[in-house]
Amino acid sequence: MKITFRSFASLLVLAAVGALAVAGCGGGGSSSGGGGSFASGAEAACSKANEQIAALGTPQQAQVTGYLESTEAVIEKLHSEVAALGASDAAETAYTEALAEALPVLTQMTNAARSENFDAVRELSAGLVRIHLGEVAEAANLKTCAEVPTPSES
Amino acid sequence: MRRLRLILGLGVVVLATSAGVAWATTGATTGYPQPKVVVPTPLQTPFENRYLLTAVGSGAGIRSGEMKFEFEEGSSPQFLVGISQFYLYGPTGEIETALFTFYPPTALPNGKGLGFDVLKVGASTSYGQVSPDGELRLFKPQGETVKGELELHGGGPWPVEFKVLGNARGYSASPPAAKQIKEAEPTAPGWGAKPSEYVGEYELTNGGEDPTAKAATLGPVISVAEGLGAQGTAVGGGSMTVKGNPATATVKLESGGTTHTFTLTDLAWQGDQRVAQVHTEGAGRPPVGRFEGTGAQGEVKGTLIAGPSVYKVEFKLRP
Repeated sequence: MKITFRSFASLLVLAAVGALAVAGCGGGGSSSGGGGSFASGAEAACSKANEQIAALGTPQQAQVTGYLESTEAVIEKLHSEVAALGASDAAETAYTEALAEALPVLTQMTNAARSENFDAVRELSAGLVRIHLGEVAEAANLKTCAEVPTPSES
Repeated sequence: MRRLRLILGLGVVVLATSAGVAWATTGATTGYPQPKVVVPTPLQTPFENRYLLTAVGSGAGIRSGEMKFEFEEGSSPQFLVGISQFYLYGPTGEIETALFTFYPPTALPNGKGLGFDVLKVGASTSYGQVSPDGELRLFKPQGETVKGELELHGGGPWPVEFKVLGNARGYSASPPAAKQIKEAEPTAPGWGAKPSEYVGEYELTNGGEDPTAKAATLGPVISVAEGLGAQGTAVGGGSMTVKGNPATATVKLESGGTTHTFTLTDLAWQGDQRVAQVHTEGAGRPPVGRFEGTGAQGEVKGTLIAGPSVYKVEFKLRP
């Protein structure tokens, strides 16, 4: 029993040392409750995504499939970048999940456009409206992420 | 929409089984009897094809459609049977699906083309039943274009124009919208008999919550998708100013988190019809679309089309 207790105590010490080492070496770790790194990282990613979305302009109907493919790629990249930051609270988690929720809807819209079923594209977009991404971003104090990009005139 | 798809699916099954048409590469098996009047095969042959509806009289209420004609398999003398799937504007703005077959063929006078009775395929109360619903007249194909006239539901005739797709091509889903042909184009300048009837400041009266306003990065894609349907992009707010002689209008619409400004030129009217050319970069630049609507007593409402975007707007003249 003594041996067992001693081993257990050793394990505790090792675990504590390990935890300290991880905390000390992490540097850029964002899940330690700081919040600032997630926010700044997400805002930077959103800024880039919004620029890319704005640069797509407004497509003619014949260009809608390409437009949706590009939008899907931008949102997918934004989601992976935001997810990698590691949300530290419920609001940040909700924003990450909202982006994830948008992806399958965008895929369905792109597929509908490929079939030239533009009525379906329109109907499916209601799934994106329901996400209220702007409100979710505001709740997470992500001002840039809450902005609606303005499509460039082309 | 799901119900429509179900109805369509059932309708197609019905066509393929009880009353309808079983299509094969060799021809159609419709179950329709040999027509009493024989039409010479050489007159029918040019029409054996798949078609896309490219233009239709606006009064027909048809948004888009696809049609196919094939010779009945094993028929002697041969006769053509057609089938179409039309997307109609419903009374409340939604798109409804309607299936028709075309039988029997008749020769139009002077070898002008072919005529067919339009048979509506029952889809709600009488699955498998067809009922006469009008007439389709197709004039001789000119290249890849076939023009004609359509009578439906006791209305028309409306002009129709089809593009030959060939059997190798087809639309797996909703075909693109056909051009709406106006029966009588307004020509009188302005939007009324006297400038005092229509010049002034207007406010948008059908503005609602803009679904893209809270959509952040997803706002533009929602805005684009909404512009694809017949209902038009949601508009959050807006205004219109009509001035000058000849009159022009400046329209500002809030949508997708952005204020869009349009210049309307060539304002014309006839009765309650109101039309104009739509420009996005000022009156000096080429038009990018068209406004079509109605108006009277200080109110103007209609559809503003600007490139890929469609807006349903209603304005009221401020006192």
